Amino acid sequence: MSTILRGLQFYPGKTIIHKLDPRVKLVISLLLMATAALYLEVTIITMVIVVEALLSIVAKVFSRWARTVYGAAPLIILVFIANFLFKLSMPGQSLSFQSIYESLQLAYRLVAFLASFSIFFLTTTPEELGMALTKMKVPYMYTFAFISAIRFTPILAEELQSIVDAQRSRGLELEKGNIITRLRRYIPILVPLMVNVLRRSYELAEAIEVKCFGAKKNRTYLRELKMTTKDWITLSASITLFTVAIYIRYFSRISIP
Amino acid sequence: MIIFENVEYVYPNGFKALNRINLEVNSGEVVALMGENGAGKTTLLKHLNGLLKPTSGRVLIDGVDTRHSTVASLSRKVGIVFQNAEDMFFSPTIQEEIAFALNNFHFPGDVIRKRVDWALKFMELEEYREKSPFLLSGGEKKRLALAIILAWSPDIVALDEPTVGQDILQKEKMIQIIRQANQQGKTIIISSHDVEFIAELKPRIILMSKGRIVRDGPSEEVLTDISILQECRLLPPQIVSLTSKLDFLGLKPKLARPEEVANEIARRVRHLVNYS
Repeated sequence: MSTILRGLQFYPGKTIIHKLDPRVKLVISLLLMATAALYLEVTIITMVIVVEALLSIVAKVFSRWARTVYGAAPLIILVFIANFLFKLSMPGQSLSFQSIYESLQLAYRLVAFLASFSIFFLTTTPEELGMALTKMKVPYMYTFAFISAIRFTPILAEELQSIVDAQRSRGLELEKGNIITRLRRYIPILVPLMVNVLRRSYELAEAIEVKCFGAKKNRTYLRELKMTTKDWITLSASITLFTVAIYIRYFSRISIP
Repeated sequence: MIIFENVEYVYPNGFKALNRINLEVNSGEVVALMGENGAGKTTLLKHLNGLLKPTSGRVLIDGVDTRHSTVASLSRKVGIVFQNAEDMFFSPTIQEEIAFALNNFHFPGDVIRKRVDWALKFMELEEYREKSPFLLSGGEKKRLALAIILAWSPDIVALDEPTVGQDILQKEKMIQIIRQANQQGKTIIISSHDVEFIAELKPRIILMSKGRIVRDGPSEEVLTDISILQECRLLPPQIVSLTSKLDFLGLKPKLARPEEVANEIARRVRHLVNYS
């Protein structure tokens, strides 16, 4: 889980991808996901993943991006098993190569989804994301809650590690015993973590209140987002490619291997 | 006895927190690890009970190599009180909080009751026995954290920044507790950058900077070496700063009680007046 979270954390850089307008990056990520959702064919989803890999190379975050995909392996396996069992439970279905293949396709699609998210979060700061959402008319209250959640994830991960260290130093062994015993052993970890989270949220609420959060409906910003020529070109190219993908999927007779 | 042999530790992000650490601490010693933030003090402490294992080199606790031992078994010998005491608390009452580790270490029921009573008394927390740990004041929480550790009587007690957020009375109480625990034969290791607190305690001092040990010696020597303290981004104790500015009276930087220094100044001034 922590590997996936690390893959969704901003990594500073000065590449062309980092410099793109966050709204354009958000649209590209959503279009890549939509393309993966349009097709189940392994070739197309592989192409989407290759495009994502190329973007991560240009953004110089390939190893982190790859780690996200690798870290998501247990989740992907879980999706595969769940799909496979669901298919088997359907009336008239039996254990066949087809059912395994179809379950694999769905799990593979998840890789494309996660990888697309990863590129966006690796190259966009929570503040930029907040600005993009606000520009898209999302109420600032929700945007702020969302970016705060992202910003506090690494801090929460650090606190979790401190708590685990403190409790292990008191002889708590998380690895021993059956599943029920192990779950019960997580209580000394979860209670202090919950207390810390609640305390932090109260402190944050006080801190933003004293800084007049919500005093005026229309906020002003230190930095304003402005679309440049590069942004427009990238956006147009992405939308064109996506239109081609829709055309091939629904209107052409090209057969996809 | 604690032995660090050529210990290096590199965090997964590539940051080298400990660099060729060689160190021996005898049983019953009081040692202070001092240095700026990020010097490697907490990383070194976490090696004592195996929470971190050296990337290279080895750590021996009474001859046991931490690389081949579990945190639970090492914690029986080494108790660490972490900076944020609240990271430990989860039980509904203070006595249950203290009993938690004793249960983990499989102490018999009657021994647990005796040890909980002793720890509550030793830390002057008896009246709060049934209270929630979260309702204690900052100083009481620190004392509870120490009670939790002392209850199972580890041979080595490590304290990570014990004075953070403590007022002067609480610091004095902490010094008393440390001295008492040391008199009971415990080895005490304190990580701190509170020079006044350490100057009062006068332990052996290990100065760290950028993952290395830059100085190891008695308080009287290390805390009067102003240049090395500055190198480690530490201010000298006030009494040392004062005496370092009185060289015209023939005084050298000195770690002593204020009354002693006052008497010394008076004696030297009298001598100067008589001479002139």
